Amino acid sequence: MLINRRKFIQQASLASAAILSSSLLKVNAADDPAETLTILHTNDTHSRLDPFPNDGSRNAGLGGIAARSEIIKKIRSEVSNVLLLDAGDIFQGTPYFNVFKGEAEIKAMSLLGYDAATIGNHDFDAGVDNLATQLQHASFPILICNYDFRGTSMEGKSLPYKIFQKGNLKIGVTGIGIQLKGNVAENLYGKTVYQDPIVSSNLVAEALKSQHKCDLVICLSHLGDKYEDDKISDEILAKESYDIDLIIGAHTHKLFTQPRKYRNRKNNDVIVNQVGWMGLHLGRLDYVFNRSGKKNLAQSHTVVIGKKTSD
Amino acid sequence: MNKYLQVAISISVVVCQLNANAQKYYPAEVQYSYRQVTKQETSDSAVLNFLKPYRDSMQKAMSKVIGFATVTLYQKQPECPLGNFLADAMKTMGEKKFGKKIDVALVNYGGSRAYIPKGEITLQNVFDLMPYDNLVILQEVKGNVLKKFLDYAANKGNWSVSGAKFQVKDRKADSIYINGQLLDEAATYIVANTDYVIRGGSDNQTLLKDIPQVSVGYLFRDAITEYIEQFTKQGKPVTAAIERRVVNADQ
Repeated sequence: MLINRRKFIQQASLASAAILSSSLLKVNAADDPAETLTILHTNDTHSRLDPFPNDGSRNAGLGGIAARSEIIKKIRSEVSNVLLLDAGDIFQGTPYFNVFKGEAEIKAMSLLGYDAATIGNHDFDAGVDNLATQLQHASFPILICNYDFRGTSMEGKSLPYKIFQKGNLKIGVTGIGIQLKGNVAENLYGKTVYQDPIVSSNLVAEALKSQHKCDLVICLSHLGDKYEDDKISDEILAKESYDIDLIIGAHTHKLFTQPRKYRNRKNNDVIVNQVGWMGLHLGRLDYVFNRSGKKNLAQSHTVVIGKKTSD
Repeated sequence: MNKYLQVAISISVVVCQLNANAQKYYPAEVQYSYRQVTKQETSDSAVLNFLKPYRDSMQKAMSKVIGFATVTLYQKQPECPLGNFLADAMKTMGEKKFGKKIDVALVNYGGSRAYIPKGEITLQNVFDLMPYDNLVILQEVKGNVLKKFLDYAANKGNWSVSGAKFQVKDRKADSIYINGQLLDEAATYIVANTDYVIRGGSDNQTLLKDIPQVSVGYLFRDAITEYIEQFTKQGKPVTAAIERRVVNADQ
C-alpha cells in the first residue's frame, strides 16, 4: 500500500507538470490500487445562461453556460470518473427566468449532463408549484434531505440522496437546503417543511457510509459558508458531522481561494468549497483515493489538499 | 493489479471492518482549481443552438412596449419624478399584493440604475432601471423609529417617499406628515421598503433590521412593471412630477 501510494503521489505530481496530465493520471490509475474522482461544481448560477454583456463592466464577456459546457466536455474527455454538481439557486437573476420561469436553465443543465443539484432559496421564487413544473425538464435528480415536501407539488420530485458508481468508487451524494422562513416568502414555499440540516444530513450520511459502504459522501449545501452569528452554516455543519467528506457550498456567493478543511465529530477531515456565483467559475476537485487497509481503519483520516498546477 | 489479489484485499477489508466503516477506499488527497469561464473559451454549439430560440423570444419579450411616458422620469435629489413614481408604484402595487393599506413607501436613491425616457416604455427599460431582484417588504414601524429612518434618509440627501411629506432641516427630517397628519412618535405605521434597504443597504444601517418583516416574494421590479401596465390597461399614460413631497429647508 505504502509503496503504491508513494508511487501514485510521485506520478500525480509529475503528471500535473505535464501537459497531458489528466490522461497520464487515467492510465496510471488503471494499474494502481488508488482511484481518482474529479468533481466539477457550480453554485448560485442565477439564470446566467449568456455571458455577461460586453459593456465594459467588471464581468464583461465572462461566464455563459455554452462556454462552461465546452470546458466540462474537455475535462470529461481527459479523465474517466467525473461528477458534475450544483448547490442551488439555479433560478433568478436574468430575464431568462422572468420570461421562462426556469425552463431554459433546467433544460440547459440537463444538456450539460449535470449529475445532481440541490435546491436554493431562489429556486422557490416563482413558487413551489413552478419548481415542480420546471423539474420535469431535468435529466438529473434534485437531492435534498431536510425539506419535507409532503402535501406540495414537489412531493416525490426530489431524492434524499443518490449513489453514483464511478469506476471502483461508490460516491454518495445528498443535499441540504436553507431555513425557508425569512429566506423565502411563505406563499412561495407553501407547505414545504424545513428540518434540521445537521440531524437530517448526519442520518443520511451515516446510511451512505455504513449501510451503502460509500467511499465518499458529498453534501450539496445551500446553507452558506459561515456567518458572524451562530446561524447554521457549512462551517458548523462540517464540525457537527460524522460521515460527510465534502460539502459543496452556496448561497453566500463566495469564491474560495482554496477549499477549507475542518475536523468532524469523528476527527476526520471535511472539505468545504464554494465557487462564487453566476457561473463565472467552474470548481474542480481532483480526488485521489487509497485502498482501505488495516492500518487506516481505526485512525482518523487526513486529506491532503493541494493546488492543481495545470488545468 | 491482479484481480485475485484485489478480491483478497476486499475480503480482508470486509473481515477487518465488520463493525467499522466498510468502505473500500478512503479519500487521501485532493487537488483543487477554480477555472474562470473567460471570453477566450470556445462555446458548445449544441448549447448555443439550444439557447437561441429562448434568447430570441426573451429579447422580444424585453422589447415589448408596456406603457407610455408623457415626460422623462429623471432622477435628482432631494425630490424627482422618477423617485416619486417608483415610491408610488411600491405603495400602490404593494397595497394590492399584500391586501393591506401602506402608510409610507420608501425608495433608496442609489437603487435606481437608469431613468425612464419620454415615450414608449419597454420591459427592458424597467430591467435597466431595476436590475436587482429586490423584494417589497412591509414592516410595522413605530413613529419614533420611522422618524429616525427619515433622518437617516435626509442625511443621505433624501430618498423618495410615497404617503409622506417632510422638510429637510439641519440634514434631518422635520415637519413630517404621514397621510396628511403630523407624525405621531407613539403610533405604528405600515412601512414598505425593499429587503436590501432593511438588511442595511449600502452603509449597513441597522434601523429596521430587527423589526419583523412581511414578504410575499414580490419583486420591486415586478411592482414597477405592473404599475405601468395598470395605467396602460386604463388607457392612461405614465407621468410624474415634483410635488414638494420633500423640501430642502437648509438652503
